Formats: sequence, C-alpha cells, structure tokens
Amino acid sequence: MSDDDFLRVTDVSKWYGDEQVLNEVSFEMNRGDVTVLIGPSGSGKSTMLRCVNRLAEAQEGSIRLDGEEVLSPDLDVNALRREVGMVFQGFNLFAHLTAVGNVALGPRRVLGLSEAEARDRAEAQLERVGLGEQFDSYPAELSGGQQQRVGIARALAMQPKLMLFDEPTSALDPELIGEVLEVMHGLVDEGMTMLVVTHEMSFAREVADEIVFLDDGHVIERGPPEQLFENPEEDRTGRFLERIASHD
Amino acid sequence: MASATRPATVRERVADSDRSVGRLLLLSVGALFWSWLVVSWVNRWLGGVLVPVGQPLLPPGAVEATVAAVPGLAAYAADAAFVVDLTPELARGTWLTVVITAVSLVFGFFIAVPLAVSRVYGRFSAWLSLAYTELLRGTPLLAQLFVLYYGLNLASYVPGAFSGVFVRDVVWVAILGFTLNGAAYQAEYIRGALESVEEGQITAGRAIGLSKLETIYHVVLPQGLRYAIPSWTNEFVYLIKYSSLAAFITVPELYYRADQVASETFRYTLIFVVTGVTYLALVLTASKLMERVEERVAIPGLGVEREE
Repeated sequence: MSDDDFLRVTDVSKWYGDEQVLNEVSFEMNRGDVTVLIGPSGSGKSTMLRCVNRLAEAQEGSIRLDGEEVLSPDLDVNALRREVGMVFQGFNLFAHLTAVGNVALGPRRVLGLSEAEARDRAEAQLERVGLGEQFDSYPAELSGGQQQRVGIARALAMQPKLMLFDEPTSALDPELIGEVLEVMHGLVDEGMTMLVVTHEMSFAREVADEIVFLDDGHVIERGPPEQLFENPEEDRTGRFLERIASHD
Repeated sequence: MASATRPATVRERVADSDRSVGRLLLLSVGALFWSWLVVSWVNRWLGGVLVPVGQPLLPPGAVEATVAAVPGLAAYAADAAFVVDLTPELARGTWLTVVITAVSLVFGFFIAVPLAVSRVYGRFSAWLSLAYTELLRGTPLLAQLFVLYYGLNLASYVPGAFSGVFVRDVVWVAILGFTLNGAAYQAEYIRGALESVEEGQITAGRAIGLSKLETIYHVVLPQGLRYAIPSWTNEFVYLIKYSSLAAFITVPELYYRADQVASETFRYTLIFVVTGVTYLALVLTASKLMERVEERVAIPGLGVEREE
C-alpha cells in the first residue's frame, strides 16, 4: 500500500436506511491498472463503483483519487466526474441526440469546446470504438452493442483518467457482447485505468491486474486473477466462481 | 425502398386518395378562411384600401342575388347576406382572439417550463409550484379575470409602453389572466412529459459532469417538450375557446362582437353558429399546425412506446 496509489479506497461503508450495502470496503489501484469487481447480485459492486464518482454517497471511509479526497464535502463533483468516465449497464444514451451528439455533448457543454471541435472529437472517439459509419444514427437506430460502444465513446470523449464500467455487457444479447469486450480490450492495451464490474469471467481473467470479490458488502477476497480463479482462499469465492462457470 | 412506400392493395390506394381529397378540401377551406381574415385585417389597418372600413369584402347585395339564383337556395339568400354583413365584425373580433391566445400561450409557456421543472426536480420550489398550479387550476378562470379587472382594476395600471397597443388596455388584463391561468395547465402537461424521460439519461448527464440544471436543459427538456406536444395542443385548443371569457371583462374579441350584434338583431342562432364555426376553424388550424410541428421535430425512436 504505497502512498502513490492512483485510486485508494479505504474502509468505505454505505447504508440504505438500516441496510448496510458496503462494509469497510478497501482496495487500491495504480495508474494503468485494470481492477475487476465481481460478486453475486446485491453484493454492492455497482454501489461501490458509483461511490467513486459520487453518483452514490458513501457515508464512511475514504476514496482518494490521484491524491484528492473524493468524499470531501467541499469537492466539486462535476469537476470530479469530468475526469472519471462511466459506462452503464443500460447504455443510458441521450435518446434525442445522434451518436455524434451523444459523444459531443460533454466536450461541448462541460469542457467548453466549440461546436466544430466537439464534433471532431466525437467523430474521432466513434472511430475509435468502430462506429465510423454511424455518426448520425439515433440510439433507436443502433443495436445494443453499437449503443454501448457509443456509451464508451461518450465517456472517452472527456479524456478521463479513470473509466468505470458498470456491467457493460449484462443487457446485451450474447452475440453482441463480443464487440463491446473487444473495445474494452483495446482500452486495456492503450493503458487506460479501468474499474470494471462484470460477470464476464474470461474477460476478467485475461485483463485484470486484480480481482476484488465482494459479497454482502464485504471484500471477501482480492488478488491477481490466477490466484482467485485457481486457488481461492475463501470457500465463498470458490463457490461463486463455480456457480458462474456453470452458467457459461 | 420506393416499392415499400407504395400502397400495396387497391383498398389502400383508395383510402390514400380519400385522405388526399380530404386533405385538399381542408386545405382549401383553411386557405379561404385565413385569406378572408388577413385581407380583412390588412384592409382595416390600411384605412380601407380595398373596401371602406367596416364593410364586408364582398357586397352583400351581390351575394344575396347569387344565392337567390341557385335553385333551392333562394330561401337562404337573406341569411347569406346577413352573414356577409356580419363578417367585418367577426374578422375584427377574431384578430383579438388570435392575438390574446397566441401571446398568452407563449408567455404562459415560459412560466410553465420553470413551474414544471420545479415541480419535478425542485424541493421547496416543488411546493410553491404545486400551490400555484392547484390555486390557478382549482378556481374559475372567470373569477380570476374578475379579480384582475374589477378587483385589482389592473386596466388602469397598464404601463405606458403597452398602453394603446390594442383598442383597449383591458386586452392586456385578459392576456395576463390567460397567461397566469394557462401556465398552470401547461405546467401540468409538461410535468407529465418530463417525468417520462428515462432516469438513466439524467444519471448519464450527471456522470459526464453536467450540473443538474444543465442536465435538465440539455437532456430532459429537449425530450420532455417533444413528448408534451400532443397534450400541450389540448391546452392550445382550450385557450382558443376560453379566450371568449375575455368578453366578460369587456374585451372586444370574437365572442364579444358576436354577442353585441346578436343583442341588436336578436339573430342569436345564426350569429352563434357562424361564430362557432369561426372558433372551429381556429381550433382546426391550431391542431393541424401542432401536428406539423410534431412531425418536424420528431426524432427516430423517441416517444415510440408512448404511441403504441
């Protein structure tokens, strides 16, 4: 646990009413790392992810990103979110905007780029996710896989220093998952720092520097993928991985 | 692609041509109606360049003779002449009806949007908005107009810049009344539409660093206002008709002028049938106009589920 950890989550706890959804969660990542959060549904993975960009508020603990305390009440959340990209399970594209419009909105309205600059940047990001032909399509005219790639391009257009992926392939038909994972693989290769919630175990195994297994709001076990997949220390981890594997 | 848009069956082609005949008929009647209005208004503004101010565009005598010459219609010739005689007053009143409706609708819209946004996304302001909406929707419009006109005597406080724009300053009081009242109704329609914008898109807007207000402006309103068009058109149509209440605070709009002539001639049925048809023409124009607006701003896939 060195001082220069890029993201350091320490003892983060969160309650919804009386129900504790996160219980002293801790992990850290270096710049360029890929960390994958796994665990059964309701284990708090998505909530943990949302605490990092303050879409959810952690009540206790500390989240330091690049030396800054994310949970500080004085923090400008909009400034934080400018630097932390997020990709959603349900894509959440702006339904009234074309692919380019979706990607350009942030650069135009948040970063203050000119109309032309924002469009150029949006087109470049759409090319990057393989949607060079779909600039002017509306979300309803795109397949789920294409919509999610627009979602990734929208986050990338802000040139974030950390990308959060919240089950990016869970809402997709099986045959469309590959194209999204391919884009994510590309980002890993480019050295993007990524915190990913997913059930895609083969993806996790291939690209993760560290896997964090959450259950019931607790970190049950964490470590490099080889260790977790081959020799889990905890019974619960092993059982969860077996259950997931039997669905593949 | 071209073949897919061509009607496949004879029945469809017949239905299609029926529709286009109907559309053509409606369009012609509409064009005639609006030509009559605009020419009448311009004639009056220019001090009677075509016909003397107050005179119908067509000579009633000639109309009477023409109708009398048609077999079977001779009995209605005098009525036809009477209606033609009525047209200058109708056109004059319709001007105010149109202006009051249009101005109140636009002013009301700019009040309604913040009201609706407060209602959906505000905390304290949601209560204020609710209170305003319930108060204005829950009390009779006529009572509201009476309070503004007789109670507060607002007609005598019309600012200099606005005074004299219309025949009588009381027109501004009517516009104020309809603006305040219409805003409450418009806000209800817009609120419903805003609520149907997916929550996830708001989250996505916040996640790229837009503030709550920016997200509402750039993400929620462009979609919500599109969703609102059909129900908002209802308010437009209602406003055209209840603008007639302005007659009760002495605004010389369409209903007022019709009523004046009727009380002098006692030809209530004929006059109010013709007046009713005039309102109908305005209402149809409004709803057709809004249909066009809806088509123009339509976005593929947006609001599709709502139509199903």
